Amino acid sequence: MTDDTQFPVKIEQPGQVAQGGNVFSRVFDELTAFCRSRSLFILHYCTGCGAIELPPAMTSRFDMERLGISPMVSPRQADILLITGYVSVKTLKRVMLTYEQMGSPKYVIGICSCTVNGGMYWQSYATAKKLNDYMPVDLYIAGCMPRPEAVITGLRQLMDNIAKGEANGWQDYYRRYDYYLGNQQRLFGETWQTPTDVIAEAKHYDLFGPETLGKHTELLLQHQKPLEALEMRLGLDAPEKVKS
Amino acid sequence: MNEAHLPVERLSIILGEVKDVRVSQRGPRRTRLDVAADALPALLELLKGRAGFVHLSAISCVDWPKDGQFELVYHLWSYELDLLVSAHTRIARDPGVYVSVYDIYHPAGFFERDIHEMYGVFFEGAPDMEKFILTEWDGPPPMRKEFDSEAWVNDHFDWQDYRPDWLLELEAQGGGIVIPPDEQRFSRRGLPEAEDES
Repeated sequence: MTDDTQFPVKIEQPGQVAQGGNVFSRVFDELTAFCRSRSLFILHYCTGCGAIELPPAMTSRFDMERLGISPMVSPRQADILLITGYVSVKTLKRVMLTYEQMGSPKYVIGICSCTVNGGMYWQSYATAKKLNDYMPVDLYIAGCMPRPEAVITGLRQLMDNIAKGEANGWQDYYRRYDYYLGNQQRLFGETWQTPTDVIAEAKHYDLFGPETLGKHTELLLQHQKPLEALEMRLGLDAPEKVKS
Repeated sequence: MNEAHLPVERLSIILGEVKDVRVSQRGPRRTRLDVAADALPALLELLKGRAGFVHLSAISCVDWPKDGQFELVYHLWSYELDLLVSAHTRIARDPGVYVSVYDIYHPAGFFERDIHEMYGVFFEGAPDMEKFILTEWDGPPPMRKEFDSEAWVNDHFDWQDYRPDWLLELEAQGGGIVIPPDEQRFSRRGLPEAEDES
């Protein structure tokens, strides 16, 4: 687990007075935000039909890369989690695992009507209706499905929000973890737990707020099993076969 | 047995060996057979062994709550006769138990497992009646007619509130979007906790 005393990281909030009275620290923050907004890696978690609009948005016709956005294969190296359609309850568990693995700062975009309000699956027992109940969504791109122009427009909007320091959904996840965990427990059952220790991360990022802990996190701590390291083994065979 | 060249003729010879089969021709290459539940495995055995109906493409289930019955439809295709036969049978809805045809058609294992999950029909002799697609589902079988999907959704999910500023402006002027009262769905987050946890 993350030792919160090991790496003291201070994330400065927009609107907060720069520490030490250094006039250049604010300039430096703005430069960081600007650079961040110009180099985004998308992890597109292709859940539904909306993923079909991404290849044209990525490739030569609309060419996302001219905006500094390119696809990324691993959640650990990605900045944007793109949910491209309806999320079934089964998928939502995997989405939560993926989201919590991503390094901060991270942004979530919900594409298609289904992520907004269930879309055409509003009556279905198997799909989650409202994505921002379970994770903070920075931007929704509505449409069924949105054209690549709309996707590009949405991504530019996100870039602007990042440059202005307004895309702070990931901080909200740490500050109000109890709320999000409560919604997840309501859907996945009370024994729901992820491998990520979000509370320790919240302390680590100095984003521990009054709503980080609550009755839902108490429930989590009651049954939470500590993570164990995976067994390291060479080959696929059982150890006794290796000996012989 | 005599050589019969027309597919339907050859089929009718086989069907003469099973009691109480009602045959209806739905098209040049589609035949519907209605058969009693206890005669269906014998019929499938005959169709597979004697008429080359080697391909079981699907088993479907229809819920008839007013009759208190499930209808099982076995879709069979013969590459020799180029004929699609759908064998219909009805079983009692309660207790909803039927025999598996896994020993005749191995793909039936998947279809029966799916029907067990969606309708709660238990197939005796099936190799696996565990959860199939809805691995994380603990509610009632969702494809039964009495399952109210909308009530389930209202119990388990919250709705998005859509109140943009431009709509509020229109409503202040007496306009707005007209939604019938029974179709209005708003977030229940503001409501008391007791109602929220229903």
